[in-house]
Amino acid sequence: MSRMPLPLDRHIKPKLVGYDPTRPRPGVERLAYTLFFGSLWALVVVAYGLVPALFRSQGWLDGALGFFFYAVIEALLAFGIAAVVALILIVVLRKYLGKVQERVGPMHYGPAGVLQTVFDALKLLGKEDFAPANVDPLIFRLAPAITFVSAFLMLVAVPVAGGWVMADLNVGLLFIVAASTLGAYGVVLGGLAQGGKWGMLGAFRAGAQLVSYEVPLALALLAVGVYSGSLRLSDIVEHQQGLWHVVPMFIPFLVYLVASIAELKSTPFDLPEAESELIGGFNTEYSGMSFAFFFLAEFVELFLLPALVVVLFFGGWHGPLFGLDPASFAAQALQSFYFLVKTAVWVWIFMWIRATLPRFRDDQLMDLAWKGLLPLALFGLILAAFLRMFVEVV
Amino acid sequence: MRGPTQILPTDRADEMLINMGPQHPATHGVLKVVIGLEGERVTRAVPHIGFLHRNHEKIEEARTYPQIITYTDRMDYVSGLQNELPFILAVEDLLGVEVPDRAKYLRVIFFELYRLASHLVWLGTGMLDFGAITPFLYTFRDRERILEIVEKTAGARMLPNYFTFGGVRRDVHPDFFKDVADFLDFFEKRLPDYYALVLDSPVFQARAVGVGVLPKERAIARGASGPVLRASGVAYDVRKAEPYDAYPEIEFEVPVREEGDVYARFWVRFKEMEESIKIIRQAIEKTPKVGPYKGKVPARMKVKGSRYRAVEISRGHLGAHVVGDGTDRPYRIKHRSPSFANLQLIPDLLVGARFADAIAILSSLDPVFGEVDR
Amino acid sequence: MSLRFKTREEFDEVVYAVHPEDYRPLLEQLKGEGFDYPRNLTGMDLEYGLRVVVHLTRLADGAKVTVYTDVPYDAPELPSITDLWPGFEWFEREAYDLVGVRFRGHPDLRRILTEDHWTIHPLQKRYDTGGYELPGWQPKPWPEVADWEEAPEGDEGGEA
Repeated sequence: MSRMPLPLDRHIKPKLVGYDPTRPRPGVERLAYTLFFGSLWALVVVAYGLVPALFRSQGWLDGALGFFFYAVIEALLAFGIAAVVALILIVVLRKYLGKVQERVGPMHYGPAGVLQTVFDALKLLGKEDFAPANVDPLIFRLAPAITFVSAFLMLVAVPVAGGWVMADLNVGLLFIVAASTLGAYGVVLGGLAQGGKWGMLGAFRAGAQLVSYEVPLALALLAVGVYSGSLRLSDIVEHQQGLWHVVPMFIPFLVYLVASIAELKSTPFDLPEAESELIGGFNTEYSGMSFAFFFLAEFVELFLLPALVVVLFFGGWHGPLFGLDPASFAAQALQSFYFLVKTAVWVWIFMWIRATLPRFRDDQLMDLAWKGLLPLALFGLILAAFLRMFVEVV
Repeated sequence: MRGPTQILPTDRADEMLINMGPQHPATHGVLKVVIGLEGERVTRAVPHIGFLHRNHEKIEEARTYPQIITYTDRMDYVSGLQNELPFILAVEDLLGVEVPDRAKYLRVIFFELYRLASHLVWLGTGMLDFGAITPFLYTFRDRERILEIVEKTAGARMLPNYFTFGGVRRDVHPDFFKDVADFLDFFEKRLPDYYALVLDSPVFQARAVGVGVLPKERAIARGASGPVLRASGVAYDVRKAEPYDAYPEIEFEVPVREEGDVYARFWVRFKEMEESIKIIRQAIEKTPKVGPYKGKVPARMKVKGSRYRAVEISRGHLGAHVVGDGTDRPYRIKHRSPSFANLQLIPDLLVGARFADAIAILSSLDPVFGEVDR
Repeated sequence: MSLRFKTREEFDEVVYAVHPEDYRPLLEQLKGEGFDYPRNLTGMDLEYGLRVVVHLTRLADGAKVTVYTDVPYDAPELPSITDLWPGFEWFEREAYDLVGVRFRGHPDLRRILTEDHWTIHPLQKRYDTGGYELPGWQPKPWPEVADWEEAPEGDEGGEA
């Protein structure tokens, strides 16, 4: 009958407190956000501007080997941007939710808690990547990778400034739709492969939701494509030189906004994970880095879907250039800055929606997609076609 | 391991049985519901309770009467103080103790403060079930102010053990009335925010209106009480039906709604919070400024007889049946808890609903498992 | 045949002590008198037998009644009143679980708060708080019951 000695109260000395880690420090936070934004901008300038300019000026792109190295470096940089964006957005979202909810948010790691995500990532790396007994091992491991890869595939086609795009695809819009649909596969397969009932329910919901919302999303994108006369994203941005698409394309804009929140699986459309109903849904059984991949993918999408809102409807990189030559490097860097600022505003709006609304029910979700958004999107498509004819005739 | 009744093997190919709980986040504790799902539609719901069973009633048989009060706190731990009252009232009846006026009003103030605290917890956790995280933190922050006020006087926050036979245990802190008045002013300004976030939110209304409808007759027959009963159109409130303490002298309304759906239950609780504010304001005004806070109670309590008393706590009709055999320990105490009776409605309400509705219905019943399992 | 019960006033309610065979007929009669709301059902151990106490109220005017009856240890059976007040379904299960009263005709009489495989009824006085039988515990003799037939006839609808 031996018993562990219990720590008695008198043994616990009060810690000397000269520094309160929960004291709000808005100055530090503001500085950190500025640095985050600056580093992201710098990374974008390097990835989209400096590296291609270097390769082009040296003529390395002509050879097969040079092109190969260029592709590898660009892929690594795209991955870096995705990772940095996710790391930044996670802590920003948590800080922002803290602001909305009248609390301070994470405060303990780094000054004012701004390094929280880094420590989270280290913790997740160190965790055992546990898989329950009756999972399908191959698909269980593959699913997070599919979701993450699909998220950062989209990054490749997004133009951040005039001439600054990793792959200037002439079917950019279709590529976006295809890549985001691929993400749904990861979620559905991940839910089904884990062999649990909650995961299965989550996968059913995810399948229904993501596939349904692809349709209005694609139609809204198509309307933009019809109106601007091109599927190439940089052409679409160029087309908004005079007038941002949000004015003539307001209906597709609304459809795209709702559908992209649904694609993002954030409230009010977070049914596939629905932690209060399905205990996490499709990611119930995931832990460690497998979970982190789903998590990172979600936050990369939280950056990319607002970025697409900006590209398609809010003039992309357009902004006052103060007399700079649009083809000059400085002008392009400024354009990418405008692009990032607009994107940040839309990320904030997405976060705001996430902080405010309760969740829809599954049948209401389907009703909204098929009875509300789909007719609206079709109407928007027809409208876009008429507007296009009008523009061409006049 | 809960025996052979736990697993009901399903004989239908299109039905999936799923164990919701006892560790499910939306069961607010340790409820387990075996739910049959056909797609997203609930085909059966079998509740299992008892995971938090401590057999209070047996423990209390071995304690003296003053010792028991602290156990009653631990039933509905969300509205801790309110649980003390039915037991105390029953013993006071059996002993013939007179409660001074000041104590009666103090009891009313504390009782209603805890109703506010409890409804705030319900609102936050209930909205968490609806997928909205923000109200949770707002409500807990407001509740914290109530608990701080109580702590100043009673010395504890959730389970203060403050009421006692013949009145309250000690006089209130000098700042008490000012603190309460300040809080009420503050809280009145907060209520519109809650209306905007919850009741007036179109997404919430889409989720709640017409969901989990409980007909009036069924609610009465099942012994439902509190907001669940009043949302079904029955104006049964123990504060009006069998008034206790200072409630007869206070004017307030009993909010009733006819629909009986989740929205009505939310609405009733919202209106109850407004009524509580009114009640506390009146009580503060009417509390005698001086006077004893505790009546004369025999030093050695020897209770004989049987008495059932009920009060209206945040969740409904909480009763205590005290049987004394003339010694200083009770012969038998039975606690009639409102959530226990309300949870009998699970099969009535859940079957036929969608799975997401099932969560919403459970949160609108607002069970607290400390009192269900006792 | 008239029902065998005795009434008395206690505080603000009428208390019926009823013969176990007339337990259900009396409650049916009370249900007919409009006592529609089930307040409480207590099971208790009296050391010579088991007692079930039923508290009812009428929502219309707030009238309250209490009905109790005693059953012996060797045949702790009573008819269920779950069909009259479905709200007593879990209360009867609880009385069965903790005290050991069997309710005939209950739709689903199984343990509710304790584990299904338990064999004891913990609120009986023969067990201590750990659930062990107290050494030397003996049931008391059944008390002398006054003749039921002496119950005042015509008292509050004494006819069946």
